[in-house]
Amino acid sequence: MKPQNPETRSILAAEYVLGTLHGQARRRFEHWMKSDPALRREVGRWEARLNPLCDTLPAVQPGPAVWKSIEARINPSREAAAAEKTTWLGSLAFWRWTSFASAGLASVLLAFVVVSTGPSDVAGPEEAMVVVMEDPETRNPSISVAWSPEGRGKPKLRIRVIGHAEMAPGTAWELWALPEGNQPPRSLGFINTHETQWVEVPEELRHQLNKAAGMAMSLEPEGGSPTGRPSGPVLASGKCLKI
Amino acid sequence: MDALDDLMARCAMRDQRAFAELYRQTSGRLLAVALRVVRRRDWAEEILQESFVNIWNHVSHFDRVRSAPMTWMTTIVRNRALDWVRRPKHETSDEELDGIVENWADDAPGPLDRLRNAADSSALAECLGTLSGQQRQSIALAYLHGLSHSEMAEHLGQPLGTIKTWVRRGLERLRGCMDATSA
Repeated sequence: MKPQNPETRSILAAEYVLGTLHGQARRRFEHWMKSDPALRREVGRWEARLNPLCDTLPAVQPGPAVWKSIEARINPSREAAAAEKTTWLGSLAFWRWTSFASAGLASVLLAFVVVSTGPSDVAGPEEAMVVVMEDPETRNPSISVAWSPEGRGKPKLRIRVIGHAEMAPGTAWELWALPEGNQPPRSLGFINTHETQWVEVPEELRHQLNKAAGMAMSLEPEGGSPTGRPSGPVLASGKCLKI
Repeated sequence: MDALDDLMARCAMRDQRAFAELYRQTSGRLLAVALRVVRRRDWAEEILQESFVNIWNHVSHFDRVRSAPMTWMTTIVRNRALDWVRRPKHETSDEELDGIVENWADDAPGPLDRLRNAADSSALAECLGTLSGQQRQSIALAYLHGLSHSEMAEHLGQPLGTIKTWVRRGLERLRGCMDATSA
C-alpha cells in the first residue's frame, strides 16, 4: 500500500535517495514514483538537499578509454558523422536520412510545401526553407516549419502541427532557431496546437533564420523560458533544408 | 544560465561537441561519486560509461526547473552504483567496510570539514553539524559509500533497529534544519 501520510512519504523519499531503501522496497517505491508527481518532487528536494555531500569528494579523472566507448555508443556511424561534424545537428543518429526518405514523410513534406505557397510573403514556388521536426524519442515527424528565404518585411513561418497534439495547462511550446557553430539558440516565438498556423519573426532575424542549421521546440512554463534559452525538455527538433 | 545549463540545452539538441564538453567538465566529479560506492576503479568506470550513455539518451527529459544539471547527473550515477553494489557478487569485503566506517567516526577530522569548506553546501554542512555524531556518520556512510542498514549495523556493532533510528532521526532533523535555513 502506498503511504498517504506526508511525513512517511518524505522519509521514504529520503531513504530512497540515501540508498538505504533497497531490494523489493526500492523497486516498489520506483513504481509509485512513476504515477505520483508529488512523490517525484519530494525525491527531487532530497536530492538537492543531499547532493552537496558529493562536493567533498576529490575528483578522479577517468581513463581515456571511457570516453572512447561512450562516443562509439552514442554515435554508431562515426565515419558518416565526421563529415558533418562542424554543424549543429551533426549526428547521424539524430537525423536519419532513411526516415526522411520514407514515403509517409515525403508526402507530408510535399503537401506542406504545395500549401505553403499560398497568400504569404513566399516569393514563388522556386525556393523555400523547410524544417521537419521529429520527436526525439519516437523519431516521428511532429511539426514542420517553412518560410521563404527571400522577400521583405517580417519573415512569416508557416507551422504545421502533425497529428493530434495536446499541450498541458500552464505550459507553452517555444520555437528556437539553432545557429551554425556554437551560438546559443534564438527564440522565434510560440507554437499552439492548431494544425496550421503562422509565426511572425522580427525582420532583423531573417538573415539568422536563413542561416540556421536547425530548429527545436522546447516545453516551457507559460510565458516562455525564464532564462532566455531552452529550459525544459526538447519536444521536437530538426534540420533546415533548402528546397 | 550557467555553463552546465547551456551545455545540457545544447545536448538536448543532439550537439555532440557540447556533450564532449559536458563530459570534460563533469566526469571527474562523477567518477569520484561512483568510485566511493563501488570501490573498484574498473567497476566505477563502467558505471560512468553507462551513465553518460544514459545522460545522452535522456537529456531531452532533463527539466532545469526541477533540478540542477549536476544533481540530475549525480543521481543517475549514484542510482547505477547503488544497483551495482547491491548485487551479491559485487559486495565489498569486511575489511574494506571497517576502514570506511572508521573514516567516518565521530572524532575523525576531514569529511565534514571538507563539506564546510565546499562552495554551495554551507547549509548542508551547517545542518549536518546539528545532528548527533551517530546520525551524521550513518547518513554519510549510506549516501557517499552506499552502505545498507545491515552493513552499518554489522560494522558499527549496533542492532539493526538502532541504525534505522539513527538514519531516520538524522534525516528528519536535517530536513527541518534545511527547510528553516532556506525559508
